[in-house]
Amino acid sequence: MKERKVLIVDDEKNIRMTLSQTLADMELSIETAINGEEALAKSEGTKFDILFLDLKMPGMDGMEVLRQIKDSQPDVKVIIITAHGSIEIAVEAMKLGAVDFLQKPYTPNEIRELVSTIIKREYLISKEPQDYRTYVEYAKKSIAERQFDLAIQYIKKAIAMDYDHAEAFNILGALYEIMGDIAEAQKNYRIALSIDPTYEPAEKNLYRSTRLRSGDSIIFNKNE
Amino acid sequence: METNQKSLYIIIIGCGRLGSLLANMLSKEGHSTVIIDNNIHSFDALNSTEFSGFQIEGDATELSVLKEAKIDKADILIGATHDDNINIMIGQIAKRVFTVPNVLIRILDQNKEPLLQKIDIKYVCTTTEIASKIIELI
Repeated sequence: MKERKVLIVDDEKNIRMTLSQTLADMELSIETAINGEEALAKSEGTKFDILFLDLKMPGMDGMEVLRQIKDSQPDVKVIIITAHGSIEIAVEAMKLGAVDFLQKPYTPNEIRELVSTIIKREYLISKEPQDYRTYVEYAKKSIAERQFDLAIQYIKKAIAMDYDHAEAFNILGALYEIMGDIAEAQKNYRIALSIDPTYEPAEKNLYRSTRLRSGDSIIFNKNE
Repeated sequence: METNQKSLYIIIIGCGRLGSLLANMLSKEGHSTVIIDNNIHSFDALNSTEFSGFQIEGDATELSVLKEAKIDKADILIGATHDDNINIMIGQIAKRVFTVPNVLIRILDQNKEPLLQKIDIKYVCTTTEIASKIIELI
């Protein structure tokens, strides 16, 4: 297996340090960047396989970095580093092909498992999988390749194998949202919540997709 | 500590003198450390050159706060608040509900030792420890 190149982009020194340390024994080549500008500069000269990306950074924000890097390196697998309770932008990130999230605080095992799963996902070959988990991985792979129609097919097959996971319905909802079908999206977020009322990503997605968007606010007075 | 090789996931409750000292030391050793305190100013006691873990501001007697800290994935939980009862309660939650493999709490009141032995929670009673130390030094 070839050595993967990993770029960690976070303005917090602690995050860069703990991630690098945890990944140190995984035969990866690791680079770090302290902001979006440095990340883009580094990605000009090098092709990275995996990108750890913080969305909240001073200067250029993570979404912009994601947009630009995905443009120049469409194959890069992106892991979004999120703080607790800030997953509402997940759909936006998914649209750009980022499907994996690492929620702070994270454990060393979580990081290593996530990286292994992402590397293994590349080797998924197009034979029909047999179980729920593999179908979900196929769906994520399709999202990373921005093949959203295909992702919907896979996630539906995952649900057909095992309809008891909030995660799958939440992904399906997010995919419908990406495709512009808000009603179908909300239906699936609600199903996810009926399976697991504490499943936070679905709750956030439902809340976000049902509230008034900025710019859509009702105008009461012309002078406002 | 069983091994220094593997980075463990450690949750510390209370960022006072003891909690912050432990957090600094364990983080410096390379463990993934999360410290919880309900007063954000307590985190000032963390040493930025030693501590590279996570801080959570919140009441650790709330289940949501413990879940935010991913207690179900913790290798070790240390109860280090100044309140024995809180430490005992969180210790029990960690051990019985989330089956954290290694739960340790600090208590100040030596009268609570029999209780802790009865409910099988590992503890250090600082009062007893210091008393024996002083007697040893006399």
